[in-house]
Parts: sequence; C-alpha cells; structure tokens
Amino acid sequence: MNTIVLTVVLPLLAAFVVPVLCRVSPLLGRLLGPLTLAYAILLTLQVWLGMEGKPFSIALGGFQPPLGINFYVDRLSLLFTFLTLVTSLLLWPWRNETEPRQYALTLLLAASACGLALSGDLFNIYVFYELISVASFGLAAGAAFAASLRYLILSGLGSVLVLCGIAIVYLQTGTLNLAQLSQLAPETLNTPLGMSAFALILLGVGVKGELFPVNSWVPEVYAAASSRVSGLLAGLVSKLAVLVIVRLLVLLFQQESALQLMLILGLLGAISGELAAWRAKDMNRMLAFSSIGQLGVIFIAFSIPGETGLFAGLALSLHHLLVKPALFLLAERWRGSLMGLRGAGLASPVAGGMFVLLALSLVGMPPLPGFWAKFLLFTGLAAQQSVIYQVALGVVLLSIVIEANYLFRVVMNLFQPAGDNSVAVITDHGWLNLGTTFLLSALLIAGMLFMGPLGAWLEGVAIQAADPVLYFDTVFPVSAIH
Amino acid sequence: MMPIEIGAVLYVGAIGLVVIGIAGIVLSHHLFRIILALVIAEAGANLLLVLSGFRWDAIAPIITGGGATQTMVDPVPQAMVLTSIVIGVGVQALALSLTLRAYGAYKTLDIRELQRRMSADLAGEAGTPLPQSLEEPVGGRPLPAAEGDGR
Amino acid sequence: MRNLAALVFVGGLAFLLLVIFNQFDFAQAPMVIGQGILTDAPDRVGAANIVTAVVLGYRGIDTLGEISILFAASAAAGLVLGRRRADARRDPPGGFILRSGAALLFPLMLVVGFYIILHGHLTPGGGFQGGVILAAAFFLPLLARPETPVNHAGLSIVEGGAGAVFILTGLAALLQGGEFLQPLLDNGVLGELLSAGTLPLLYLAVGLKVGAELAGLMARLADVEVDEP
Repeated sequence: MNTIVLTVVLPLLAAFVVPVLCRVSPLLGRLLGPLTLAYAILLTLQVWLGMEGKPFSIALGGFQPPLGINFYVDRLSLLFTFLTLVTSLLLWPWRNETEPRQYALTLLLAASACGLALSGDLFNIYVFYELISVASFGLAAGAAFAASLRYLILSGLGSVLVLCGIAIVYLQTGTLNLAQLSQLAPETLNTPLGMSAFALILLGVGVKGELFPVNSWVPEVYAAASSRVSGLLAGLVSKLAVLVIVRLLVLLFQQESALQLMLILGLLGAISGELAAWRAKDMNRMLAFSSIGQLGVIFIAFSIPGETGLFAGLALSLHHLLVKPALFLLAERWRGSLMGLRGAGLASPVAGGMFVLLALSLVGMPPLPGFWAKFLLFTGLAAQQSVIYQVALGVVLLSIVIEANYLFRVVMNLFQPAGDNSVAVITDHGWLNLGTTFLLSALLIAGMLFMGPLGAWLEGVAIQAADPVLYFDTVFPVSAIH
Repeated sequence: MMPIEIGAVLYVGAIGLVVIGIAGIVLSHHLFRIILALVIAEAGANLLLVLSGFRWDAIAPIITGGGATQTMVDPVPQAMVLTSIVIGVGVQALALSLTLRAYGAYKTLDIRELQRRMSADLAGEAGTPLPQSLEEPVGGRPLPAAEGDGR
Repeated sequence: MRNLAALVFVGGLAFLLLVIFNQFDFAQAPMVIGQGILTDAPDRVGAANIVTAVVLGYRGIDTLGEISILFAASAAAGLVLGRRRADARRDPPGGFILRSGAALLFPLMLVVGFYIILHGHLTPGGGFQGGVILAAAFFLPLLARPETPVNHAGLSIVEGGAGAVFILTGLAALLQGGEFLQPLLDNGVLGELLSAGTLPLLYLAVGLKVGAELAGLMARLADVEVDEP
C-alpha cells in the first residue's frame, strides 16, 4: 500500500535525473519521463484495486501522523492522482525540439500535483502548491515570459496570504495535521478567526483555481503559452487548487459563511468570465475567459453543503478536465482572430467535428456528459432553501445562455464557406494534437455511454470524501493519543 | 506590562511588513520595485509564522551539554519558516530572471508600458484589432519569439 | 483615483489583520505537535538540533518538495534566460583587492560551508544555510574573474546527483520494508558528529544541491547582465 508514495517520488527522481541523462543519451532522456509516468499510473491502479474502497493513511518516514506528515489515500485522492498522471502523460511535450528542462518541469508538475492530492498536512499542501506554481511558471514562461510575470507576482501575493492563513490556524490550534484539525475545528476554527483564515487561504489558493478577484493572469498566459501548457494549467492545476479548497472546507471550515463566501466569489467569477469570453476576439482568449466562467460554476457547485455539492462539483470538474485541454489542443492551429477562422471547420472536418462535440458537451446538450453534470448542479441548487442559492441558479442559467451564444457563434463561423476576404490562418492540425483530442473526445463519448455506473461510482467517491469522521478515524485508528 | 507590549510590537511589525509589501505590489509601476515589495511581504508572513512558536523563557530547540530539560520554543514553525524562506528564494530568482528577460525584449520595466507592448504583440500575432496596436510603430520593436526560439 | 482606492484597500487589510492577530495572546499558542516532537525527537531521531529532526525527519517530504522547488526555479530560469552567446561582451576583471580577496576567501568559505552542513544536526545551521555559503564561495571567484567559464554541465550533474541521493536514501528505507524517508542506521550518541543515522547524509545532499542550484542561478543572472548593451 505504501507504494503510493512512489507516484510522487519517482517523477521527482526522474526530473532530477533527466537533464543529466539527456546529455548522455538523448533517446533515453526522452523516454524516461513517459515511462516513469506510465509506471506511476500502473502503481496507482494497483493500489486502487488493493484498497477495495477503504481509505488508508501512510505515515511518511514512519513518524506517526500528528507529529509527522501523512498521506491520506481515499478514492478521491487516488482519482486525482490517477487523473494527474494520465493528463500529464497525454499532454507530455513530445516534440523533438523541446529541451530536457521542459521534461523536468512537466515531471515536477505531475509529482507535485500527486502530492497535493494525497497530502494530509496543511503545510505540506502549501509546499506542493508552491512547487506546482514554480513548475507552471517555468512551463508558461517558455513562450510567454512577460505574461507569466503577472502570474508569478499574483501567485507570490497568494502564497503570502496562504502563509498568513496557516499562521492563524497554527496559532489557534497548534497543529497542522488535517485529521487532528478536523477534530479540533468545531471548537477552535468555527469563529470569525477561522473564517478569516479560510478567506486568506481561499484567496491564496484561488490564484491557481482562477477564482474571481485573483484571476487576471489567466487570459494573457493562456493566450501566449503553448496549447499543451494551457491545457495542463486550465485542466489540471486549477482542479487541484479546487480540490485543496474542498478538502479544507470539508475538514476544517464547516461553517456556513465559508460556503457562502465561496459561492459569492464563484458567482462573480462565472458571470464575469462568461461575459468576457463573449466579448473576446480570438480563440485562446475566449477559451481562457470561458475557463474562468466554468471554474466559477465549479466553485458554485462545491459551495452546496453536503455530498450533493461534492458530487455535482466533482462531475463538473471531471468534465471540465476532459473537455478544456482538448479544446486548447484544437485551438493551437486556430490561434488568432475568430473572424479569420471562417471555413476552418470545412477545411479540416475531423477537427471541426470534434470541436462541435466538445462545445456541445461544454454547454450541456442532453445526452452528453456535460448535461448530467449541470443537471446535478441544478438539482443541488434547487434543493437549497436560502435565497442566495436561488440567485446562483439564475446566474448559472444565464452563464449557460451566454456560453451557448458565443460557442455557437464560433461553430457557425467554422462551418461557413470561406469568403475571399477572410484572413486564412488555417493550417492542418498536427497528428499528435489531433490524436490526443480524439482520445479525449472518445473518453467523453465513453463517459456518455457508461453514464449510469460512472455516476453511481462518482457518488460513492463524493460520499466518502464528504465524511470528516471517516477521515479522522482512518488517520487515527481507535487508539488515538492526544 | 512590558511583555504584552513586545508582543504587540512584533505583531504590528510583521503585519506592517505584509501590508507594506502588498501596498507596494498594488501601487508601484516599476517591476523591480514590485518584486522587492513581494520580498517584503514574504518576510512579514514568515515573521508571523515564526512568532506563532514563541514562548517566554524558552531556549532554542537544540539540546546542549547534559541534556538539561529547559523549556524550548516550538520547533515546527522554525522548520516551516526555513522551508518558506527557501521557497521564497526560488520564486524571487525566477522573478528576477523573467524581469531580465522582459527588459531585454522590451527595454522597459514600467509594467503599464510592458502590458501595452505585450498585448500589442499578442494582438499582432492573433490578427485581432486592438486600439493599442494602431499607435505602435510597425518596426523597431523586438519580438520576444525571435529571441526565445531555438535554444 | 486608483491609488486612493488601493490605499483604502490596503488600510482596510492592515486593520483587519491587526484585529485578527490582536485576538491571540502573545507567546501563548498551544504547542500540540511542538511539545510532542520535543519529547519524542531526541530518542527517536537522535539529533541534538531538533529543528533538523523536524526538517529532515518529521517533515522530510517538505524538504524534498523544497529542494524540488529550487530545482524547478533554476530549470525555469535556464529556460527563460537561455544560453549566453559566445561573443557576448563580458565584465572587465575585478581589481587587485577583489581578486586576491576572492582567492583568499574561497577555501575558507568552502570549509565554513561544509562545516555548517555537516554539523547541521548538532548546531544551528544545516544544508540550506551551508549550501548558500558554498554557492557564494563559487560565485566570488566569478565576480573577481568574469572571464572564467561556468561549468553548467558539472553543476547540473551535482544538482541531479544530490537530488537523486536524497530520494534514493528515502527509497532504500522503503525497500527495506519501512516507509519512505524513514531514518536508517543507528542513532548513535546524541551530540556526536556521527550520530542521527542518515540525517547528516541527507543534509549533505541538500547542501550540495542548494549550493549547485544557487551557484547556477547566480551565474546565469550574471551572464545576462553582461549581454545588455
């Protein structure tokens, strides 16, 4: 069971070794990363089959949890570990001209994302979060150094806020272990102090999660960075930031006002993101703004109390994780003005077809998985009594209308015969991008076909993750000493 | 009275550093000053963290000599601060190298100017009309891509 | 106008933070895990410096993350700054005082750096502090004689090798049936140089890695400065 640590450690080891290995043998250097990731995927599956749905905890270094750091492995964290490894393998920088440093940074990103999903210690989460930040600055900076400066400064500001939040939690409770905190939280953190700690951590971690006031880096970075990096940032990194916030909400900050704060920020993000996407003039910016909007919707979903919220939020997150990288990959060759894309769908019908499929699922067309995710969100919101959730329902509906509007505008444009005056920037899609997109679309269709069992299974994941008592009992089995 | 005052002074100092840093980030337009402000804010946050482990009449958590059982300060915040200082160093080094690169490409450190140039570049690449790109001279501005490729 | 809004925002933030931290009694924070570690560490880890026991033992994975962050930063800086051109103009060599001072200080700083690294489990100091001194030791000659070429290949080998040693030490424990990063070897006598199991080895790896990382970063930054017209 403790082999799950290797999903974090082996990519780190490979990242350290890759630059040296590339000097010795370029071929081995190129293969090392994908092989490591594939092996880590295998290990994750092995653990998954071995745990039989029961969560367990690993004391790193043999130091038992409240003193040492532990990894908490339940279905949710394993799911995200698995998704991290698969996504980074799919979006691996395969191209020959990429240099070893890019391999190393991608491996570091994968390792830290796994660590973030697994870690059961507040400060350890901060460390992995910073590692994700630095690795993603590096990846983004390769193409967009000026844009990633703003990203870096906002992130630096965010980490200062997170540190202040951690200081408050530590001053109040004297511990960093999430399980122990979950036991102490009802007495110590259910106060205005705990609320302020949550606000600080939410704003800090929200920088990666594209949360409303701290997301101004998003459009520029996504517009300038390569599509694989944008896919990783929008698809994977943002979800892990959300995962951290969700874990903290379930375990530490159980007060209603914390949920409402997140709901309000999510609402503002959803509406501002979709409106900006509607006004955007080029493909990448449109996708970036719409990603802000969808992350806002995800935050709204997670702010519904109880399992319902977790279930809806997880469904939306998985859907977004699947669709967004695919759209960014398609957009690589359709970079540029939306007006210039006239006829692009006719020129490459496969890519155009997949774009239509992904866009339909994003908007929430009935048989596609996107519909079911949104459906869960609506039922969850409608079941809430409070007025603010009804407002949220209206805002989400409005954002879907806006989203449908601009996405169909693009689709119409893609399939209109090219006029003489169109600025043709259409080039053929690389087979690599097309293949990856095809794989993601196939997964989407498969998700549609197996919606029943998938939904039931995901609900199980959500129920398990929403239980702080289970978390505590797993980390401190019966003979817990305090 | 005295101990309470020292505590207040330390907290006010730490929070003051954080706030000065954030004010610097928000208010200044010079890239290098923004990075310095970030350093100051991080120092404040680290001070807050290390204060959380302080105790009166306690010694540093190092066992010396005959292993006298004196009270010691909390070692965990010290380890955390060590970690966060090193993280800060990494981020600052990266920020400085990005700044150098941005200066090399655009020959300015004013963020408004940088912002304008960058969006003009992006718009030029994307072929979208942007009001800024009209004021921009067509030639004479070095494109970042020309330098960044092939390395 | 924008400045005024920002000032109001910052003032509000300051007020808020002061109110928050005013609620805590100074130096009265509960020491839940702190006290546990203080009583547990001397027997368990065998390091006289308990902060080291925390950094490399109880929170060892944090330290691994930390050196990975430095590695990521240096890789990213390399990616951003690129390689220097061969014909780029270099700074003129330093004056007599700087050159002889650098030559004198270099061995001294090496010794101090390694001393601090190897005594990290006994006295204040350790891999990070000593590593920074090592980096400075290698940067000083570069300041005095800018024409000396920097051996980036060698630095990257030290970087990768030291990181690999850290991880492999952890994996060795895993292979022996323990947990990742579980301390190996005997604790020895508390307070002696060869005590605390694998901790000195881990700190040596950290020190070399930090030193190589920072030296590489500083050399890269110095190189760029010369490129400017």
